[in-house]
Order: sequence, then structure tokens, then C-alpha cells
Amino acid sequence: MGLLDTESGKRRLLSVDLPVIEKYNEGRDLEFRIRIQKVGSTLVLCYNLKPGHNVYSIETRLLSSYPTVPPETRIQTLLKHCPHLLEGQTLCLWRQGSTRTSNRWDPAKFTCIFAVQAAWRWLACYEIWHDTGEWPLPEAK
Amino acid sequence: MAHLFQVGAGSGGIVVLDLVCRDPKITRITLVEPDVYEAHNVHRHLFPASAVGRKKVELAAEWLRERRPDLQIDGLCVDLTDPAHQTRINAAVAACDLGVCAADNEEAKFHFDRLMRANVKPWTLGEVLSGGIGGWVHRFASDGPCYGCVASYLKRSGPSDTPNVPPADYSQPNAAVAETRIPASRASIATIAGLHAIVTLALLEPHDWTSMLLTLQQVPGVFDEAFRPHRFRIPKSLSCLICSIEPVTATGEELDVALDQALARLGHE
Repeated sequence: MGLLDTESGKRRLLSVDLPVIEKYNEGRDLEFRIRIQKVGSTLVLCYNLKPGHNVYSIETRLLSSYPTVPPETRIQTLLKHCPHLLEGQTLCLWRQGSTRTSNRWDPAKFTCIFAVQAAWRWLACYEIWHDTGEWPLPEAK
Repeated sequence: MAHLFQVGAGSGGIVVLDLVCRDPKITRITLVEPDVYEAHNVHRHLFPASAVGRKKVELAAEWLRERRPDLQIDGLCVDLTDPAHQTRINAAVAACDLGVCAADNEEAKFHFDRLMRANVKPWTLGEVLSGGIGGWVHRFASDGPCYGCVASYLKRSGPSDTPNVPPADYSQPNAAVAETRIPASRASIATIAGLHAIVTLALLEPHDWTSMLLTLQQVPGVFDEAFRPHRFRIPKSLSCLICSIEPVTATGEELDVALDQALARLGHE
């Protein structure tokens, strides 16, 4: 709870997530930088990724309960229906390729940039799936 | 003379509460529990079927008053994470001496951890594994590992990104979370709760472990033996983003200004 309305949430943003976003943006082409919007109690990261052939427009939402609850990532660019794609073009990021002994989202270790990297990995898989029909990562166990 | 702050009076939480509050050292409790007693709770709970429909926090207070009329009891029928009640909850944590977390969802555990660390209070957490095959008891001190360190060390899954998944409910047989679908027996819940109570009552004494796993069943590929304790000394992680980050010292309006400036900068990238 309270990412934008509690002192602990604001401190987390100022000391962890916003500095890593600034670092991510440093020296990056304008088109691929992360822009931030505040929507109610949610922080929305808007950015583009080019994992291979195409550029995809993406939104990653840090909900009020972030970082306990993982970021939620949606692709704005229209995709073909494929594995690991949830309703509203939300990416299934934290179960794919995982096992019970390898963690998925870890609030003690990951920042929102991990979600951006996970989206990049997902999209790279999507492009391979699009060409070959095979999703190159194992199913969640 | 100690003030206990407890969250959760479900099938495990009520046993911990009952056992801890029988100790004369405990003179006051604050109990946070938002739920109503339901029919599916009856076979695993201390309360009778005739109590279905009543608030668990009221039932727990009545149970304790009958056994400890001298105990000062404050019940809060609210969700621990509800922003509307944080002032009251924080005041209760600030006044307590020790905490017990018997919440069944990760968000509440992280929030409880944040509250206890902010107020420099020791606390314990108990968890019964799916099917009652065993359970965990963890103990926390403000200078030790946080719940994030422990969850990360144990490679736990946080809440998933599967939408609309309800929180784990160890007492509800038809809980929709796959990992918690198999209900634990009353005996296994009470066993882990009893261990949780003993650890809580000894919380202020020194120990050399942070987490204890007690197996209750032999499960091929999971537990080789039943009734075997495993103790873990989980270190505080110096890279933990929950408890080891360089704190921002600004408060109140200064904090808001710093956040607004950072958001404005990143909003125009």
C-alpha cells in the first residue's frame, strides 16, 4: 500500500526506483527513455523497447502496493494472441521460465528496471514465437 | 508487563493469541483482524458454530476476557494495510513491546515488517505449509534481517501477476491459490501455532537463529522425514532494497517537493 501516499512509499521511490530510472535514461535515445506519469495512486512508466525487429510501446505500472506486488506491464502495440499474454495485453512475466526454487518477483532485490528487462526478454521470446511457433523459454512449474 | 500487537486471529492466529496471552507477562494486547467468522472456519477454530457471522476480533476479545479478565484488550476490525487506519495502527505499534504476525498474505507480512522496523520492535511470524506438511516460525529484530531478506533468502514467490488471484487462505478448503489449495489439519495448524507462541514468549531472549522449519509429514521430494526441525541463520542482506537502502532523510513537505521534482523531471524525458 501507499507508494505515493505514505512516507515509506515516497522514500522507496526517491532512494531506489527514480534514481535507477534516471540511470537507465542516461545517454539513451529519446525514443527509448522511460517517461513517468502519475495516474491516481499508480505510477506509470511509458517507454519503447526494440528487442529485435520491431519497436514496441509499453506501459509498466507500479501499483500502490509496489514493491510487495510486482509491476504490471502492458504492451500498447497490438500483438498477435500468443502464450504468456494475459487479458488487456498484460504480460505474464513472473511465472514464465521459473521454478519453485528460483524466485519470480523479489521485492528485496528487484527494482522497476528489472520489470523493463523482463519485458524486453518477453518481447524477444514473442518475436521468436512469431517466426517459429515455439516459445523459447520453459513453462512455469 | 508487556503489550502485544498481533495481526490475524484466523485458525492459527487465535491459537498463538490464546497461548501467548495465558502468560502473565502479557498485560495488554492490540489485535488487528478485519474478518468475520464464517461457516468454513468452524472446524478449525476455537469458536463455536453459533458465532458464525460475528467479527473475529470481538470473538477473540471475549475468549480472552473469559480467561484473563485482567488483560487490557484493544480490537481493531480493520485491514492492516488500509491507508485510512494507518495513524491508529502506527500508534498501537509504537506503544507495543512485541509483535505477532499471523497474516496469510505477503502484502500484509511486508507491511507488518515495515511497521515493526519503523518502531524498532521485535516480532514473530508463523506460517503453516499447504496440506499441513509442516510450518515456519520466524523471529525478527530491528537490527537483523527484514522479512524481505528472509523471503529473498528462502526464494519465496511474491504475489504473482496473474490477475484477480485471491490471497492465500490456509483455513478455506477451496482457496483458489494453487499452492494453498490443500487445507491444513487443525492439528498441524495448532502445532505450528504452539511453536510460534513459544518463540514469541522467548522473543526478548537471545537466539542464534532467525527461522525454523518444522516438518510434520514425510513428503517425497519435499521432506525426507516427519517431525524434523531445521533452523536457519538468515543474515541481513546488505543489498536488500527493503531494509538496507540509503534512507532519504527528507520528511513531510520536503519529501513531497523532492518527489514532485523527480517525477516532473522524468515526466518530460
